[in-house]
Amino acid sequence: MAINKNSNVYIITYTVVMVVIVGALLATLATWLKPKQDANVLNEQKVSIMKAFGEADASFDEVVTMGRIVEGEFVEVDKSDAAAVQGVFDLLGNRKALGEATDNLPIFKFEKDGVEKYVLPLVGKGLWGDIWGYVSLYVADAKLTISGIVMDHAGETPGLGAEIATPHVQGAFAGKVLFNEAGEFAVRMQKGGAQNEHQVDAITGGTKTCDGVNAMLESSIGKYESFLNTLTEAVAEATTAVEQPVEENNNVEPENKEE
Amino acid sequence: MKLSKNFTNPLAANNPVIVQILGICSALAVTVKLEPACVMGLSVIFVTAFSNLVMSLLRNGVPSRIRIIVQLVVIATLVIVVDQFLRAYMYDVSKQLSVYVGLIITNCIVMGRVEAFALGNKPWDAFVDGVANGIGYALILIIVAFFRELFGSGTLFGFDVLARFGYVNNSLMLFPPMALIIVGVIIWIHRSINKDLQEK
Repeated sequence: MAINKNSNVYIITYTVVMVVIVGALLATLATWLKPKQDANVLNEQKVSIMKAFGEADASFDEVVTMGRIVEGEFVEVDKSDAAAVQGVFDLLGNRKALGEATDNLPIFKFEKDGVEKYVLPLVGKGLWGDIWGYVSLYVADAKLTISGIVMDHAGETPGLGAEIATPHVQGAFAGKVLFNEAGEFAVRMQKGGAQNEHQVDAITGGTKTCDGVNAMLESSIGKYESFLNTLTEAVAEATTAVEQPVEENNNVEPENKEE
Repeated sequence: MKLSKNFTNPLAANNPVIVQILGICSALAVTVKLEPACVMGLSVIFVTAFSNLVMSLLRNGVPSRIRIIVQLVVIATLVIVVDQFLRAYMYDVSKQLSVYVGLIITNCIVMGRVEAFALGNKPWDAFVDGVANGIGYALILIIVAFFRELFGSGTLFGFDVLARFGYVNNSLMLFPPMALIIVGVIIWIHRSINKDLQEK
């Protein structure tokens, strides 16, 4: 008996069987490959953080201290606590949650030659989709300064907005001072070219993406502001202590008194 | 005899890219460097070969009213398989290829071969046809990527080749129009050798 291959029953049965087989196949494959893919993503996060520190060759696991900013205070995350570490990276990988987080914010600390650098994650919106990255900050001359930045994007226009992912654009951020004299957040990609120590040249044809980068920097770094202020205040106090040894008699080391 | 002709035809005389002018979009996008071009070529060979094989095996059972849908499901499944494997084992390349792996689904070569060949031929013939068309596509990709990487970045597979001779990179080579021009030049050379392909 020949089956009528154009009957509705045959077509529907055929479709259902096909979808079930394909669905099972793909689900199995995805489950099987998931751990490997997750490891790749985790490794990429670590490499990006090291790049932001400007230490691309150093091993994240060996040199970086992980932490969270809880109510403006740095709380170290114990790296031997796998669940806590995973929690930090899960948050970094979840751009929506990271963008909405206001407390318990992830942060990374790295100390070399007596200079403490901190890396904060960045999340924002470009022209076509998400943009994200990591910025590394340190205190120079009692001012918060960018030491390095890495940025990436989901779908900015190649050759225009996508240039934010190139070393050429990212390199321009190094040495930029975060806050101006009035204490306002002042780092931005400036259309028409950088005009002061806070600004970076914007990308021609990538204005919308650059606006997105500006908003991302301000909102992402802004969340850490109270913590970052404690860093500059600590340096400012130390400086005052050295400059005015007579008035601060009680707190100052004997050697300073002599000066 | 027929089998070997099946295999050699798509490589030159009936090449899907330079004769049928299919799959040009991805040829422009992924040929900045040789490595992603090779991976893309291999991915397409895998997809054309196995979509042809599977559709040829199913050819007597597929209801003709939904055969395009069935073809799409088979092709999409194979593309997802490729994409998942790249993400797991070649993460860097898969990031460079980004959406273009997924876009293999829409590559006219794949569906063209399934529709034109696999549905009317035995599995082994269809498989060979798929491999050959994939190779025909990959060949062009690799030729274009060779010139673009060599003159655009001065490297081949990331190894420094021209810079040591004081070559200054020509960034025009890195832009998509240059891929179109190189494909055009290949077509020109190909047609001046195979005069029967020239339109009157």
